[in-house]
Amino acid sequence: MRIFSTDHKVVGLQYGWTSLTFLLLGFLLILLIRWQLAWPADPLPLGGLLGAGNAPGGFMLPEFYNQLGAMHGTIMVFLAVVPLAVGAFGNYLIPLMIGAPDMAFPRLNMLSYWIYLMAGLVMLASFFLPGGAANSGWTAYPPLSILATSGQTAWLVGMFLLIVSSLFASINIIVTILQLRAPGMTMMTLPFFVWSQLVTSFLLLLAFPPLQAAAILQLMDRLAGTSFFLPSGLVVSGQALAVSGGGSPILWQHLFWFLAHPEVYVLILPAFGIVAEVITTSTRKPLWGYRGMVGAALFMGFMSFLVWAHHMFLTGMGPTMSAFFQVTTMIISVPSVIILSSLVLSLHGGSIRFTVPALFALAFLPMFGIGGLTGLPLGLAASDIPLHDTYYVIGHFHYIVAPGTLFALFAGIYHWFPRISGRLLDERLGRWHFWGSLITMNLIFMPMFAQGLAGLNRRLFDGGRTYAASAGFEFTYELQAWAAVALGLVQLFFIVNLILTLRKPRTAPDNPWQSTTREWQGRS
Amino acid sequence: MSGHAPIPYTTEPRADTGVSNVTMGFWLFIASEVMLFGALFSSYALLRVSAEDWPVGREVLHLGLGSINTMVLVWVLVLMSRTRRARVGHYRPLVLAASALALVFLAMKGFEYRTEWVEGVRPATNTFFAMYFTLTGLHALHVVGGLIANMWILAGASSVGEAMTRGRLQAVTRYWAFVDLVWLTIFVGLYLL
Ligand code: HEM
Ligand SMILES: [Cu+2]
Repeated sequence: MRIFSTDHKVVGLQYGWTSLTFLLLGFLLILLIRWQLAWPADPLPLGGLLGAGNAPGGFMLPEFYNQLGAMHGTIMVFLAVVPLAVGAFGNYLIPLMIGAPDMAFPRLNMLSYWIYLMAGLVMLASFFLPGGAANSGWTAYPPLSILATSGQTAWLVGMFLLIVSSLFASINIIVTILQLRAPGMTMMTLPFFVWSQLVTSFLLLLAFPPLQAAAILQLMDRLAGTSFFLPSGLVVSGQALAVSGGGSPILWQHLFWFLAHPEVYVLILPAFGIVAEVITTSTRKPLWGYRGMVGAALFMGFMSFLVWAHHMFLTGMGPTMSAFFQVTTMIISVPSVIILSSLVLSLHGGSIRFTVPALFALAFLPMFGIGGLTGLPLGLAASDIPLHDTYYVIGHFHYIVAPGTLFALFAGIYHWFPRISGRLLDERLGRWHFWGSLITMNLIFMPMFAQGLAGLNRRLFDGGRTYAASAGFEFTYELQAWAAVALGLVQLFFIVNLILTLRKPRTAPDNPWQSTTREWQGRS
Repeated sequence: MSGHAPIPYTTEPRADTGVSNVTMGFWLFIASEVMLFGALFSSYALLRVSAEDWPVGREVLHLGLGSINTMVLVWVLVLMSRTRRARVGHYRPLVLAASALALVFLAMKGFEYRTEWVEGVRPATNTFFAMYFTLTGLHALHVVGGLIANMWILAGASSVGEAMTRGRLQAVTRYWAFVDLVWLTIFVGLYLL
């Protein structure tokens, strides 16, 4: 295997291993946060290793806490989940599923991986800058982000590179799917997985450039002293800021969420695609309502550009704007419901084989359901106002992304591992991995709804101990911390499984799950 | 390259979509560029309408230099689109001339920046100039990109053959049309309005 390869399988695997590494890193960052939130008055175990600048005597500084929060979000969304879902699964499987010799532009494909890696390294290196990594949240809201330490500049450069990489990848995927389908394979015979990747790529292609524009403007604000996002008369530490002013912090929020709302569908659509393939294989039945699902995915992709300001109900937008975005948000939940219902109905009447990939895919359904349902109150301004910026929001999207999307990705890994490596992952270790992750994730995320409803803010480094709202929640924080440790430990079942299996001979049959899709027919 | 079958439809159109991979990829790229500049122009509009006072572009910018540069850039596009009908091998002087004009554009833009710098104008002066320097700078980078593409086509012409070179010329001509369009928007939005 060449390191600088243009082969879609090699590029797909490179994306896979790199993004799994980032997934682990992103998890370790948040493990520190969970421990800190549980015992804010105590030093962290091994906290001395973090350095005196971050945790003197093992006591975590708020500044470092902010870096961990910002980088956890950034790494998980941009460097782990999307590259795994699109870069790894998309690259490896699309050409096999549509009978193409490779991606349409193999060299561009290779380039997109290497730029992604560079972006990731820039992000990681930023921890070693004076002042550390970016610390203004994964949303990088100004004015905070513009006044922040130099880690924010690295963050912007990293994002810029990442957007270039994602541009190359999305062009490649769209052209491959539309142009390189095997003769006779019409659009309506594409596996749903391929459709999900197609819609995802359009979202990446069209939603990321506005964030790139925003990143350029924020770089100008930080480096050239402009005031795109700085209002007039800003006072920092008792001193009026010496800038021309006249800018708008809200403008950043518009540009950011114009990307980041479609981005949440980038996080979920590939998961739908994987779950659909795994479920049809485990039930040995075709998808229920394939056409409806394709229509729903397209409609969802289109609508996702019209809902962004539901993240901004508290910015003082007028009632007309707010009404518009409430209505579009309610409308966009319809296609999610259609897809989820079709997946559930696909189970009906099938004799389900409860293999490890099937377990992960089945658990995805109710977990995504919880995430989606808890989103509805956030989409209505009246109920969002008290919930905004509380742990409730964190609970909402983690149900979708963690026991949701991540479970789908695990399902995909267990499902296609024999296709990739010629070996079946161990079922027993897989079950431990599955049940362990399911239980611990729920223990971590379920209490967040209660914390949020009680009004606990999501950004406080002591878990809000100085506020009355936190009274009685100490034990939930401790429960979450232990559950997070346990979640880390059960991932060892997965890691050990990967290592042990890769050392065994290639004994898997060519089509171990008796799947009917093209990638399993005939080996190359 | 690995040992698989060649990628079909790289330059020849596919019957049911009617386009080649390169053409489709090119339009997708332009779509993303439209979103990039669209976001910047929208930011410009939003900042401008919410500003208390806003300088008048024709008074604070060098309208003369900007107008000449507009003509220069239009001529780049005219020359590039002539390559389409040029006989075999005859596109070379056209591409060279267009590239030379693109260099003239960059030189004049540089001169304009220098003049402004001497006058004491900086991106930090006010939001109008912040937008001006950001937009024109990003546009200038796109001109540099076009120049590099022109050179790359000429350098590769002998090794990839006539059909491939023609395909590339067509794509890069469209790219120049986009660069012109962005410039015209900047010119109208910043220099005139
Ligand atoms: C199904 C219908 C959904 C609805 C109605 C919905 C609604 C919302 C709303 C209104 C917010 C803003 C809350 C606030 O900040 O006050 C929000 C936040 C969020 N949602 Fe959803 N959502 C839905 C599905 C999804 C999906 C599929 C994802 C995919 C991963 C997702 C990911 C997120 C994220 C990441 C945030 C928080 C971002 C942040 O503030 O850091 N949501 N959701
Ligand atoms: Cu949203």
